Amino acid sequence: MSGASTPLAPGGEYAAVPDGPDLPAADLADQAADRDAASTGVWHAAGKRMLRDRVGMVTMVVVVLYLLVVAGSWFGWIASDWQAETGVSYASPTFLGKVENLEALGGAADGAAKGPTLDISDVDPLAPRYREWADRTAKTDSGIVHRAETLPFGADKWGRDVLKKAIKGAQVSIFVGLAAALVAVVIGTLLGAVAGYFRGWIDDVFEWFYSIFTSIPYILLILSFAAVFRANPVLAHAGVLTIIAVLGLTGWTSAYRLVRAEYIKHRAREYVRAADAIGASNFSRMFVHILPNASHVILVRLSLDVVAFIKAEVILSFLGLGVPIDMVSWGTMLSEAQSELVIGKWWQLVAAGAGMAVLVTAFSLFTDSLRDALDPKLK
Amino acid sequence: MTNPSRNPRAADGTLLSIQDLHVDFAVGRNKVFHAVKGVSFDVPPNRTIAVVGESGSGKSVTAMAILRLLPDNAKVSGTIRFDGRDLAHEPMSSIKRMRGNDISVIFQEPMTSLNPVFTVGDQIAETLSLHAGLRGQALRQRVVELVDEVGIPDAARAIGRYPHELSGGQQQRVMIAIAIACNPRLLIADEPTTALDVTIQKQILDLVARLKREHAMSVLFITHDLRVVGEFADEVVVMQSGEVRERGTVGEIFGAARHPYTQALLACRPPLEHRPARLPIVADFLSGRVAGAHVLDAVPDRLPRPDGPVVLEVKRLSKSFKVKRGLFGSVEVPAVKEVSFTLRRGRTLGLVGESGSGKTTVGLSVMRLHDASAGEVWFEGRDLMTLSRNELTSMRRRLQIVFQNPYASLNPRFTVGQILLEPMRIHRIEADDAARLRVATTLLKRVGLPESALNKYPHEFSGGQRQRIAIARCLTMKPEVLICDESVSALDVSVQAQVLNLLLDLQDEFGLAYLFISHDLAVVRYISDDVMVMNRGEVVEIADSDTIYRSPQNPYTQRLLASIPRGYEAAKPSLAA
Amino acid sequence: MFAYLLRRTWQIVPTLIGVILLVFFLFNAVGGDPAEQLAGLISNPEQIASIRKELGLDLPAWQQLWIFVTQVATFDFGNSWATNESVAHIFQTRLPATLTIMVPWLVLETALGVVLALAVAAVRGSLTDRAIMIVCTVAVSISFLVYIIVFQWLFAFRLGWFPVQGWSSSTWTNLTLYAPLPVMLAVFVSLAPQLRLYRSFLLDEIGHDYVRTARAKGLSERVVMLKHVLRNAMIPILTNIAIQVPTLFVGSFLLEVFFSIPGLGREIIVAVNRSDFPVIKAATVYLAMLTMVINLLADVLYKAVDPRVTFK
Repeated sequence: MSGASTPLAPGGEYAAVPDGPDLPAADLADQAADRDAASTGVWHAAGKRMLRDRVGMVTMVVVVLYLLVVAGSWFGWIASDWQAETGVSYASPTFLGKVENLEALGGAADGAAKGPTLDISDVDPLAPRYREWADRTAKTDSGIVHRAETLPFGADKWGRDVLKKAIKGAQVSIFVGLAAALVAVVIGTLLGAVAGYFRGWIDDVFEWFYSIFTSIPYILLILSFAAVFRANPVLAHAGVLTIIAVLGLTGWTSAYRLVRAEYIKHRAREYVRAADAIGASNFSRMFVHILPNASHVILVRLSLDVVAFIKAEVILSFLGLGVPIDMVSWGTMLSEAQSELVIGKWWQLVAAGAGMAVLVTAFSLFTDSLRDALDPKLK
Repeated sequence: MTNPSRNPRAADGTLLSIQDLHVDFAVGRNKVFHAVKGVSFDVPPNRTIAVVGESGSGKSVTAMAILRLLPDNAKVSGTIRFDGRDLAHEPMSSIKRMRGNDISVIFQEPMTSLNPVFTVGDQIAETLSLHAGLRGQALRQRVVELVDEVGIPDAARAIGRYPHELSGGQQQRVMIAIAIACNPRLLIADEPTTALDVTIQKQILDLVARLKREHAMSVLFITHDLRVVGEFADEVVVMQSGEVRERGTVGEIFGAARHPYTQALLACRPPLEHRPARLPIVADFLSGRVAGAHVLDAVPDRLPRPDGPVVLEVKRLSKSFKVKRGLFGSVEVPAVKEVSFTLRRGRTLGLVGESGSGKTTVGLSVMRLHDASAGEVWFEGRDLMTLSRNELTSMRRRLQIVFQNPYASLNPRFTVGQILLEPMRIHRIEADDAARLRVATTLLKRVGLPESALNKYPHEFSGGQRQRIAIARCLTMKPEVLICDESVSALDVSVQAQVLNLLLDLQDEFGLAYLFISHDLAVVRYISDDVMVMNRGEVVEIADSDTIYRSPQNPYTQRLLASIPRGYEAAKPSLAA
Repeated sequence: MFAYLLRRTWQIVPTLIGVILLVFFLFNAVGGDPAEQLAGLISNPEQIASIRKELGLDLPAWQQLWIFVTQVATFDFGNSWATNESVAHIFQTRLPATLTIMVPWLVLETALGVVLALAVAAVRGSLTDRAIMIVCTVAVSISFLVYIIVFQWLFAFRLGWFPVQGWSSSTWTNLTLYAPLPVMLAVFVSLAPQLRLYRSFLLDEIGHDYVRTARAKGLSERVVMLKHVLRNAMIPILTNIAIQVPTLFVGSFLLEVFFSIPGLGREIIVAVNRSDFPVIKAATVYLAMLTMVINLLADVLYKAVDPRVTFK
């Protein structure tokens, strides 16, 4: 079936690859290039298109860098000591130089006395012993570390290094995003494939299930799950897994809808009928034949979900409903940043906000390039 | 013939003159696709000019370039003279004034070419109020007149309808009404009947011919079907790969075509009058092996096939679809009603009908790709309808099907090798993959493809090549019966000839029985020994191929045959008018 | 038409039952024993037992389910576990505030979204188009939280153009004084994704054959876009609006929390933090019902927009 626009738009589905050896070629440059090289499958062709896409390559590099940082943090090579209070309270970023830090002065942690003191050594009975005690103190290691006045990206209220927090927060937020997206897409794909392929009463049951999850507004659904999981004695202490479960178990609906539609569409396609005609089993048709044809769509959905879940985790952690209290995420950093901004301390806001914005932008643009590379017709 | 004439209605002088037209499309970053490469021809007033070519010939692009209806990435150069002006270099505002006014267009797919959310009356009125300035009552009246003129019954009621409420033929009539509303001097028709059934096609073509006479228009008719051209055109332009191969009056083209490509187009189409043993293919002409458009007359007829034993017997096959109606009920819509036939070894049974006749459903039901509602299908001593899923799988080997859409029947993610190996693995044919690869290679060569195809993906092949791969896939299982479901309908004429020749050769070699399903009477007539005609789910007539053609009994069959465009020879007397 | 309505209403029932079952399962089974939490630090078993009895948690599961179903049917969820305020009363009093923010937001966002999408679609493919799309992508990647924090700090705290927080009992004061900053913020943030979405709707329509026919009639590009393309794009646009209507009632809980607006969203957040199950359960079930009814209305209204829709 050729659409009316086919004659006008080369590169449409029925690109003119000629029949017979004597007819002159009317190829598209793309196809010619593909044919000169070794035979190209979809992924290989997509890879080549990605390489030519500058935006796609740059964003991919950015994403990979983030992932490397996440790996480093995960294995404890960097930022593992984010909880250490190495700076003065609200230390300013190094690149700003020394900024007047009233807060630090107010709660000076190293206990050094400031300002002149009155000399009462002549009436003080303990005065002769001070020298001795000072000497002894100097020799023993009291464990009180000298706190830095500035840190690479400043410090928060307790003097913790903002840069390290941002890195650790990146690890947590990205991990949650990836894991939750994986859970959601796997659930959605399995349910969608079965529903779209078999139709009938199985489809009805899954559609009923889907309608339950989608008639509750998404935010409410997440909040309900979060509330309930917090109250559950087992789940409440599962750490990061709790929020992954919350996001994954509520976020499968988009993938389900998509995969179901793909399976319904492909099920009716002739190559599946042909597979049926040659005797392929249901399982084979579903996962050997159809799934590779839907995989690029699923991949794009996965990327979109990763972005969505990172943003959701940040908001949930902000509200205290996300990661456990002893962990840091970009969301917890932003919750501290709200009050800090009023007193002029902007570094946590920028670190968390910009760190997240750069990743999400890069990831989104990368997803767009990926989608274009996998299916160039879809522009 | 390049004198621009100020008064295009004069008997001499040209209405439209295209000179050295080039159209390039910017594809991707630096690549350019040359769709039209230096095309020149003239359109005189009050004449029908047909531009003929296969897919990729650039015929539609040429036509769309006249009114600049091409996509944004197109670049046009050359001269298009109309009314003393060069349309290729006129400002956009004057082109817009001419659109729908001096020059109109009708397109191939009327369903999508009409705006779904406006009534047909509104859409016709739009042209009138834009160019003729009509309003209110006068506007409404004119719209009703136009709807009446194009032959839609109950015009006053029809103008309040939406496009989806009309049939394909009526939608196309609406498009025509929009096009002639402001009395254009040139009507461009881009494959207007390709998407329609053959009986409707004839009505639309007659309508266009009548309107051309009554409005004294010229018609620029784009098509791939030479038969249509022969009956309706005055002059013909043959295009291939963006260039004009031949130009001339219809008599010159059909009587004494000079260019080998034109001769090929004329000759590759299966004739209705007799059944030659082989169809020539375009490559034969272009390489000089064969010459002359009447080469088919010299090819001997096929020998009649001997009556073989019965391999497939279908008894009272029925299939209904459930459609929801009302609150809780559903209605049974019958698609196939009690169809019975037999298939003999080495012979072809053609199954012909228009859309909705149920012919495809028959094919799918026999293969049990659909579950039939009733009936029996006897094959190798067993009723296929009663077999369990497992038993059916082993039967699958012997009964195979080639689908219509060559672009959809091969899994885009499998290599050709995987496609050919899969059925052999499922049915455990041959001992191991090495042996299977040898079989696959042999079959590929048999269908005319090189061994290197094994590692390639379907998208690297053309439509005809893919169809041959699909046939090879069926052959890996050495079937007894092959169902061809519109297998050549999506292919160009020259490629059709190749595939038809291949099918006939394979039948001779392997003794296959074919059930050949198609809406194209000429193809069915050519390849079948016996023909079965279906209408609305029922078999209306069944006889051998010659009898059906020469003396059809059933009125529907007669109407069907009468709708086939006769071509030039038969139409000669009417051209004198 | 009536038959269609009847059938659709009938189809809502299984979904509603499903929602009730899900909520029950979540809160009564997975949610654990809130009595312990509510008893606070006093882990006196007698006190816990009496609280449990008071909340009806000592009854067998099926009885609890039955109680829940009757509660849903009679619109009576009892009282909040925390404040003892009747849940129905909570909804009644909080809803107006939420709507005062959300309705203006929806109206402005849709209007601006359509206008800007038309403008961008008119220059599609150009450098402007791509630049705007990149800006949208970046804008979408910044967390809503960052926007709120920065806007609130900049426009209210530093520049003093708007109050930092607050709400009053007069709708007019709310609309003119307290709502503008949150509404502006919400519109600003949602504009980028809406623009991308509406632009894609328009571009989809432009690729259709009927647009070519409209051009072939000689219509100006403006008429083609505003009459033919927009009219068809209204179909997915209205679908999109219909999807957003149920969320109007939940409100933007972040905005309500930051700006101290006594709306339903903030109420729910507070309830979640306090494990105040009756409030959350009620909100979930009723908003689900509301969503189903709104979907039904939207489907019926489709007929006015898309003549191809038939009621079977």
